[in-house]
Amino acid sequence: MTFDHAPFLFGPALLHWVLVFGCFAGIVFSVSVLIALGVYGASGPTAVMGRVWQGLHDFLGISPRRIWAISLLTIKEAVRRKALFVFVVFASLVMFAGWFLESDLRADLQVKNAVSFALTTISWLTLPVVLLLSCWGLPEDIRLRSIHTIVTKPVRRNEIVMGRILGFSIVASLIVSMMGVVGYVWIRRQVPNNAELICRVPVYGELSFLDREGNLTDKGVNTGDIWEFRSYVEGGTRSSAVYKFPMDKVTDNVRFESRFEAFRTHKGRIGQSLLVRYVLVNPTKGLRVPLGSFEVAEFGLNEKDVDRQISFFDEDKNDNRTVDLFDDVVDQNTLTVEVQCLDAGQYLGMARPDMFIRMPDRSFVVGYFKAVVGVLLLSIFLISIGVTSSTFVKGPVSILLTFTVLLVGQGFREFMLKLITGEQKGGGPIESWYRLITHMNDTLQLPDNFGVKLMQSIDNLFMGGLWLVQHLIPDLSYFVMSPYVANGFDVPWSTAMAKCIAMTVGYLVPCLLVGYYSLTLRELEAK
Amino acid sequence: MIEQLTAQQRKVAYLIGIVVLMVPIILLGMPATDEASSGGQLARLRQTHDLGESSLGKVDPTSATMNLVLLGMRGIAVNLLRMELDTQKDRKQWAQMRATTESVILLQPHYIQVWRYLGWNLAYNVSAEWDAVEDRYFWVKEGAKFLMQGAEKNRRHPEVYWETGRTLGQKIGRADEWKHFRKFFKIDPDKDRYPNGPDSDINPEGKDNYLVAKEWYQKANDAEEQHEQHIMMRALFRSYPARSQLDYAEALQKEGLFDETTRNAWSLAYKDWVEGFGKMVFQEDDFEIYLEADAKDVDQIADTSKVDRPLVERAIDIHQKVSNYKFWRTKAHAEMQVNTQGVHRELYEAEQLFKKGDLEASQEALDSGLKRYELMLETYPDLGMDDNTLEEGLWAVMLWQKIYQLKNQIQPEEFPLKAIWEREAGRIPNIQQDFNRKFGPSS
Repeated sequence: MTFDHAPFLFGPALLHWVLVFGCFAGIVFSVSVLIALGVYGASGPTAVMGRVWQGLHDFLGISPRRIWAISLLTIKEAVRRKALFVFVVFASLVMFAGWFLESDLRADLQVKNAVSFALTTISWLTLPVVLLLSCWGLPEDIRLRSIHTIVTKPVRRNEIVMGRILGFSIVASLIVSMMGVVGYVWIRRQVPNNAELICRVPVYGELSFLDREGNLTDKGVNTGDIWEFRSYVEGGTRSSAVYKFPMDKVTDNVRFESRFEAFRTHKGRIGQSLLVRYVLVNPTKGLRVPLGSFEVAEFGLNEKDVDRQISFFDEDKNDNRTVDLFDDVVDQNTLTVEVQCLDAGQYLGMARPDMFIRMPDRSFVVGYFKAVVGVLLLSIFLISIGVTSSTFVKGPVSILLTFTVLLVGQGFREFMLKLITGEQKGGGPIESWYRLITHMNDTLQLPDNFGVKLMQSIDNLFMGGLWLVQHLIPDLSYFVMSPYVANGFDVPWSTAMAKCIAMTVGYLVPCLLVGYYSLTLRELEAK
Repeated sequence: MIEQLTAQQRKVAYLIGIVVLMVPIILLGMPATDEASSGGQLARLRQTHDLGESSLGKVDPTSATMNLVLLGMRGIAVNLLRMELDTQKDRKQWAQMRATTESVILLQPHYIQVWRYLGWNLAYNVSAEWDAVEDRYFWVKEGAKFLMQGAEKNRRHPEVYWETGRTLGQKIGRADEWKHFRKFFKIDPDKDRYPNGPDSDINPEGKDNYLVAKEWYQKANDAEEQHEQHIMMRALFRSYPARSQLDYAEALQKEGLFDETTRNAWSLAYKDWVEGFGKMVFQEDDFEIYLEADAKDVDQIADTSKVDRPLVERAIDIHQKVSNYKFWRTKAHAEMQVNTQGVHRELYEAEQLFKKGDLEASQEALDSGLKRYELMLETYPDLGMDDNTLEEGLWAVMLWQKIYQLKNQIQPEEFPLKAIWEREAGRIPNIQQDFNRKFGPSS
């Protein structure tokens, strides 16, 4: 996997959220007014406005004391429903997991397996529990009519929704944090003595390419890979990959880490990998500092330490020189590194995240607990969706809905995007069905007639619905932060943590509104 | 009547019913043990018709459980996994791809084509994606281990045994990196896990790769006696253990080993080929043949089976041609001779001396070696059609010419192997290109 997602920009994200939320609220309001106008005549819009006003009043007058009281009740209910029994399952898994994890693997792979296992187990045990609790709570209260003991008291409906979400979130926090601590101790005991728990902090740069004549291009050569993630530079020519790293701090040395890919057009020297060379460049001063070449460790780790004082042979001046990395090479807080392949006729492939500057490592515990917080944030997100959906549908339906959000958000967004953009051949559901029963594969052209046009028009409606779902359900894979930690990386704030916190809060607000109005308008006598 | 019984009586009645019903269930469905004719009626039927999971090979309980858990969804699950496998391959996520391969096989443990395809994928396609020879070897081993696992779970299918033999023999012994691979097979490059020895999973006794391959081909032949294979003509399939011994002897020579070990390897290869493979019986329509049959044997087969003699001759001829039987018999016989080994040794030593710059000694070795080479071809004219033998001779002539050039001497008009040099002029440009790449172009 790549650990280099786009950074989270708070300003544009907030603006986008305000726009989407505003449009959503506006559409709901307009539709409500129109329906009210149709049903109740001229008094309808006034009634809608009254509801809006009432909502505003309820939200402005919320009482933390009452919310806390409902939260406590929710926690008690969760305990009564034996939610904490999940610890027993967790304890059993942790006690015997060591038997089933391979112990004859390389030390780093054992660490990877142990960390992945601990975090995945926490996630898989917590999410079903919070999903069931949050979706089942309110519908059960309504069914058993115990909700009447609350709604007859001076408690606002939004406080019920908020109290429920807060209560379940506290339960989730308790479960996740306890499992997190136990998991951490288990990992410490599980990893072999010769293994190290590390938490790298990478700084990524911007990548561009130079072609074989030395002209700047966006991409290198494609050597025939279907996956165009990496671009290749041609060996023995002026072709190179140009990384520009931000350099704000002055340090005694800089460590480059890279994972390049080799592509051979001829056998070359069997037994020797391709030779790679870094050239540090200061474009303003026209300074080029070649570093010593090394054999590429394909799909592995190439580490190169560069001291602040660099001695090299200047080919232009035909003399040995010593330069200061920060005074002479870094230009306007940017360090430019050209990566070259030295073997003629061979190619070296790279993408932006394939090379980074490794800053001083953080403690493993920091990265690990960030990943645990990721599980907690996903739990809170699910609780918000679960509690909200349980205000307008019954328990089983609510579970199905929340589970679908989880499933689609974690694994099917890419597939949906392919369907919507037409990248996935075969058309919509009706066209697929038609092709299936007529044994037409997806590359065959459909006949040009009315039936086909009608079929595709209906499919377009389905696709529209899919587009809406694709935009409504967020990418929940961001919450899964275990790959960072398992591969020895810190969980970055900007590209992972901030994104997940914003996503959780961003969905919590509309969920509260939807939950409040649904509960307000719902006939609580109906089972 | 049931309503008239008390609750307790009903429970007792149900219990008796359960016990009574259990008797036929046990009689019918009791699982088999290791002993023959054990288990219930169904288990015995499975044993009789070789249909039981236990008769297919080593049972993987997780695999059976997975299939049970998925119920009718196994096909869908396999499709999804195969799609994932392709994506991981495209994205070069090799470790994940290896794990997905295991998942696919968990669901399809007895689909032979799945084992063959995925094993090939690991040993040939994935290994080729890596740059370091050690990494490539690791993936060849992964492919071989995977196939071994497949053979263990599908003991009655000769194909998977054969694929294992091919991977250990030909992939390791004939790849571009064969020199490295063959060394790694005896001393694994992963020093941490296998200090100064082979990977015990694929080569527990530290043997040559071709000899281990020979054992797997032999297992394939043993399985083939019980169950038909579906990948090639039977005569060809059954020739592989002997062929692997021939490959072993040839590989020793290529590595510059011309001592008693190599001669013994050729002797054994000859014995395997002539007495083993040559005496194997193959069924034709109405009669049985074997490849080492002489005129007297042909008469006897024709008489015993009451078929025309030309028909028997033709069948033997086809089988011999398909397996290149006569050539390999001649080759093995020639190579086990002292003179032939001397030819190879002298030509090899001449090249080593040339590399050291000792032109006089090199020329002397070449003169002697080429003369013995001619003698060898006179004794075994069939070798004059063998690509490797011809290449060796032409290469030696080029080396001989090169020495004359370097010594600024005019090469004699007549030289050993002149007849072959002129006859095989069409082969020369390609060999000359390789020669020039190694020793520089002629001036």
